[in-house]
Amino acid sequence: MNKSLKEKIESTFKDLKVAIPEESRIAVTAENHSVLAILRFLKDAGFNHLALISAVDWIEDGFFELCFILTSYMQNNVEYTDSQRLHIILKTLIPREKPQCKTAIGIFPNAEPYEREIHELFGIKFEGHPRLTPLLLEREYEIPPFRKDFDTRKYVEDVFGNIPSVENNK
Amino acid sequence: MDRNKITKWLKEPAKMANKYSLHAIYFCTGCGIIEIPPVITARWDAERFGVIPAATPRQANLFLITGYVSVKTLRAIIRTYEQMPEPKYTVGFGSCPINGGMYWDSYNTIKHLDKYIPIDGWIAGCMPRPEAIFIAVTHLWTLIDKEMANGYIRYRKNYESYRRNQELALGKLEWPPLYKASEEPQGNEQ
Amino acid sequence: MVAKIIQLILSPIIALVVGVFFLGLARKFMARIHWRYGPPIIQPVIDMIRLFYQKSVSHGRMFDLGIVLSLAGSIVVVLFLPLGGTAPLSGSGGMLVILYIMLLAPLGMAISGGQGANPNISIGISRKLILALGYEVPLLLILLAVMTHYKTISIVQVVNAQQSTTWSIISLPLFLSGLSYFLILPAILGIRPFDVSTAPQEISSGLMVEYGGKYLAMVTIEHAFVLFISIALFVNLFLGGAANPVTFLVKMLMVFMLGLCINAVFPRLRIKQAIKYLWKWPTLLAFLGLIVSLVIRS
Repeated sequence: MNKSLKEKIESTFKDLKVAIPEESRIAVTAENHSVLAILRFLKDAGFNHLALISAVDWIEDGFFELCFILTSYMQNNVEYTDSQRLHIILKTLIPREKPQCKTAIGIFPNAEPYEREIHELFGIKFEGHPRLTPLLLEREYEIPPFRKDFDTRKYVEDVFGNIPSVENNK
Repeated sequence: MDRNKITKWLKEPAKMANKYSLHAIYFCTGCGIIEIPPVITARWDAERFGVIPAATPRQANLFLITGYVSVKTLRAIIRTYEQMPEPKYTVGFGSCPINGGMYWDSYNTIKHLDKYIPIDGWIAGCMPRPEAIFIAVTHLWTLIDKEMANGYIRYRKNYESYRRNQELALGKLEWPPLYKASEEPQGNEQ
Repeated sequence: MVAKIIQLILSPIIALVVGVFFLGLARKFMARIHWRYGPPIIQPVIDMIRLFYQKSVSHGRMFDLGIVLSLAGSIVVVLFLPLGGTAPLSGSGGMLVILYIMLLAPLGMAISGGQGANPNISIGISRKLILALGYEVPLLLILLAVMTHYKTISIVQVVNAQQSTTWSIISLPLFLSGLSYFLILPAILGIRPFDVSTAPQEISSGLMVEYGGKYLAMVTIEHAFVLFISIALFVNLFLGGAANPVTFLVKMLMVFMLGLCINAVFPRLRIKQAIKYLWKWPTLLAFLGLIVSLVIRS
């Protein structure tokens, strides 16, 4: 099952790498401009559950890496054993100076909160997203908090450490 | 436990009644709320101490702040605390309200809760066991007896300092000040 | 004359003491069913003392007066119930008066809740009044059956008739009506499975959400009165009343324990399910009881 899918993906698209890191996992590394086409292809091949979109900050290389994790609802049946349930992770690289990407809402409508969270915490802009407002946090940060160059201890000292206790405040 | 001493009841009924009828508001702050259902159900029964959960802040007496306090939660905590009728007692639960606990360098949590809300006592642990919660309740009784559990009096006296701290942490507050500068409570409190 | 005045004053006091005792007994009994120790039986008294020492917040004039209205309604109903001796206000229209004034309690709470600006109050009071609509239908049929069988409207005469013959629940015509009354007793008392109007988890205890301090103490007192009234009505009409107060209170205790056993094991019905239940079997049984007593009497 893995091998046939791997050959199918490699034959349909060019300049992408498909690896099988362990049994029942497939890792696809692609360019940014072909991500939506690959997602559409995988959804038609039966992987219609977008489980997660997450991002990794490679600060030394100067990239963000976006990861899409896809599974298939039909493989949750009892007829499939654990080793037959495939998870596909699709990775792309985005440059760190101008981080933006096209939204995956057209293919998977449930990508909306994941992209909102990534925009809030990493600063990656998704074109075509209807509502890129803050989801979890309340304040404005100049550097988005999950980036590796955000200094948390300095932020805590500046913002929370300067608040005096009540006895010293009168 | 001196609930059976009739003479004490006749001498100072207010203190005894406040001690043995602590209704805790059922506000699930953070991860520490997982320790509350074992305390109030059949195994470690808290109802024999008089502690039951109350559904609204207006009926409650005791505020347990269990676990970490993020910035959004602090807003809700302050509004809930100001709705409770006096005399009221707050207990900080776990190590996160004491000094930040596990989240001491987080960008979104409050490190020292004592700067925003008056706290009467702390329970250390991550999470404290139910036996520690009962020790805290009996310790709170001792404090009420000696009249040292006066968090609400401190709140009334130093209200400007507390409100300044709250505004520094939260930005603009949507609710008006609870006490005017002349130490009179707003609204028609009776 | 003096005896009458003493009875007038003593009746609500006895009702209050018994009601508060039942509230404490409820918590202790439920705790024992759950295999744990519970609070002491005087715990509601401790709660009320604490509530009276708390500074409460009022929302306006009608907020205060609504509670007084509901409390007044409950006290008046208590004066009409025979308490093992004679009732202080034993006129000749006992049952009809009780049927009307019993509705003052939720109405008073609705008036006071209207000024508390919380949507949970409206949800709670609408559910309470819909539940009242639900149990009033079988209750009316039951009272009609009792009135037909004993040919009187006064509760005192019903009690006297039962003292001379037997309990009416085991006499043939009123067996179905008594069974139907027992089936709707949890709805009148407001215990599970019918405590949808004060559900703490769903609507933050419904109409008591804005009451703190002395208002909550008044609501607890009113709840104690309602407990007393519902059970006393059942004991008077179907279990024979009693010649002296002690037997009367023992009978009330038995009925209350049965109700508590039902309270301990049942979940909470939604309001639609509650109305469907109340208008199906209890109404059917009460209707059949009415027909049977009409046929036997004519």
